[in-house]
Amino acid sequence: MSLDLIRDILIATVPLLVIFPTLFAFTTWLERKALARIQNRVGPNKVGVPLTRYGGRFSLFGLGQPLADGIKMLFKENIVPRDADRLFHLLAPILALIPAMLVLCFLPLEFPWTESLLPVQAFLLDGAVIFFFAITGLNTLAIFMAGWASHNKYSLLGGMRAIAQMISYEIPLVLSAVVVVMMVGSLNAAEIANAQADWNWFVFTPWGLAAFVIFFIASLAEINRSPFDLPEAESEIIAGYFTEYSGFKFALFFLGEYIAMFAISGLAVTLFLGGGAGPGVAALPWLSTVWFIAKIFALIAVMIWLRGTLPRLRVDQLMGFAWKFLLPLSILNIIVAGFAWHAQQQASGILKAIIWVACLLILYATAKGLDQLNRPNVRPREYKYAE
Amino acid sequence: MSEQIAFWMLSAIAVLGALVAVRKRNLIHGVFALMIFFAALSGLFLLLLAEFIAAVQILVYIGAVGILLLFAIMLTERVTGDDGRRMTSRGWFWGLVVAAAVFVILLLPAIQELPPPEAAQAIDPSVKELGHKLMNPYVVTLEVLALLLTAALIGAVTAAQGVRIPKEEDSSE
Repeated sequence: MSLDLIRDILIATVPLLVIFPTLFAFTTWLERKALARIQNRVGPNKVGVPLTRYGGRFSLFGLGQPLADGIKMLFKENIVPRDADRLFHLLAPILALIPAMLVLCFLPLEFPWTESLLPVQAFLLDGAVIFFFAITGLNTLAIFMAGWASHNKYSLLGGMRAIAQMISYEIPLVLSAVVVVMMVGSLNAAEIANAQADWNWFVFTPWGLAAFVIFFIASLAEINRSPFDLPEAESEIIAGYFTEYSGFKFALFFLGEYIAMFAISGLAVTLFLGGGAGPGVAALPWLSTVWFIAKIFALIAVMIWLRGTLPRLRVDQLMGFAWKFLLPLSILNIIVAGFAWHAQQQASGILKAIIWVACLLILYATAKGLDQLNRPNVRPREYKYAE
Repeated sequence: MSEQIAFWMLSAIAVLGALVAVRKRNLIHGVFALMIFFAALSGLFLLLLAEFIAAVQILVYIGAVGILLLFAIMLTERVTGDDGRRMTSRGWFWGLVVAAAVFVILLLPAIQELPPPEAAQAIDPSVKELGHKLMNPYVVTLEVLALLLTAALIGAVTAAQGVRIPKEEDSSE
């Protein structure tokens, strides 16, 4: 292995390891502020310029809060339950972070300084998208490991919930991405992003829009965001799988969760929102990075908004929604997309518009119909072990 | 050179993972060791530039099979086992003989027959080629497999539902 290759690999990967944790710190502040606004509070507003005597005086909207949180987490006591499996208890938070960090490499984020590199970026891999899904799935294992190793009833319940939820929602997640892969004819993330140049974003097509909505909902479930945060439902099972975690291990879980949030939003941007495309990119290539991250933050803003407004689902609703609504809709979406693509090959002009409207109507009617079909089943829960 | 190092490291991890998976009394530890083995195997595929197989190895074996194993284990009693007891079995001698025979008779000639490995070349778009192969010559096989899996799924659902006992009309009162 030549030194050039090692240098290029470092140039390609180190920025990811610096930029995203920084963005994580910023996002925690953003989320706390936004949630506070939704709940008619102020949010963190005291910690200002850290490590100086002017900390309180120039509070800068509490922007120093993430740093204070980090220092607090570092100095907290690390408590391990007596009956816990010590090795797995230690490994779980690390294992939760690694896959989330790893999949960042598969996002087609072209930094300005990577122009002259050897082709070492992972998003140039032939199967980048499938790799992304494979590695995100490993997150489940970390959560189960944490739940099992803690030797706590609530932790284990949270871990089992996480597995059941992630297995169910991974299917609509992958099936909705299949539509885009089918249209582009490639699993290469860079090619998918390039195919959407000139505002040909997939979200602007009927099947793309349906796939995007399914993908977004399923990704919320995949990363345990509200309203799908059942594995860590604090009103039911304390904190779920990280009940027995404190100090820096807890911080690692937190970091892993947010990095996974960035990663899955990044994939949504790549698949449906045109990757780094946007106005001004042709003139200034470095703007594509800015656009990419801006789009990620747009999706994260929606996630924060949903967290502030939607109540948590029940377990039976969660499963029903995945298997009876999202799965049939995403399978139909693949069929519709296939037919529409072939019909568009011959058609032009007005016929194309008719196909579009027809697709939109079919998908909308199906969604409505599935909703109606599932509705009679929604009734008060029957309790087995309680009255 | 670096491929050599990676190969030996991954092989060592795979062998160790497999050994731990077999020897551990604690089932959960065993499953996670098995997953380490699968991950190392995926790395070996990646070294051979078979990206798709590597990704599918993780997706299917760790993501699906491993988690199913965990589910099954959670339904059994005495998950942790007792680590104190040694794993012994009576047939170990003949097992060793059979393993050695397989190595000498099957694997050794195969290794010796092969020409020395060349530096692997990137096969152009391997995933695309694989997809075309699956859709053109092997489409019938694929569909038969899909049918088989669907049948298995329906069978599993029917088995899980069990026999419906018709409700008795207020027999208790």
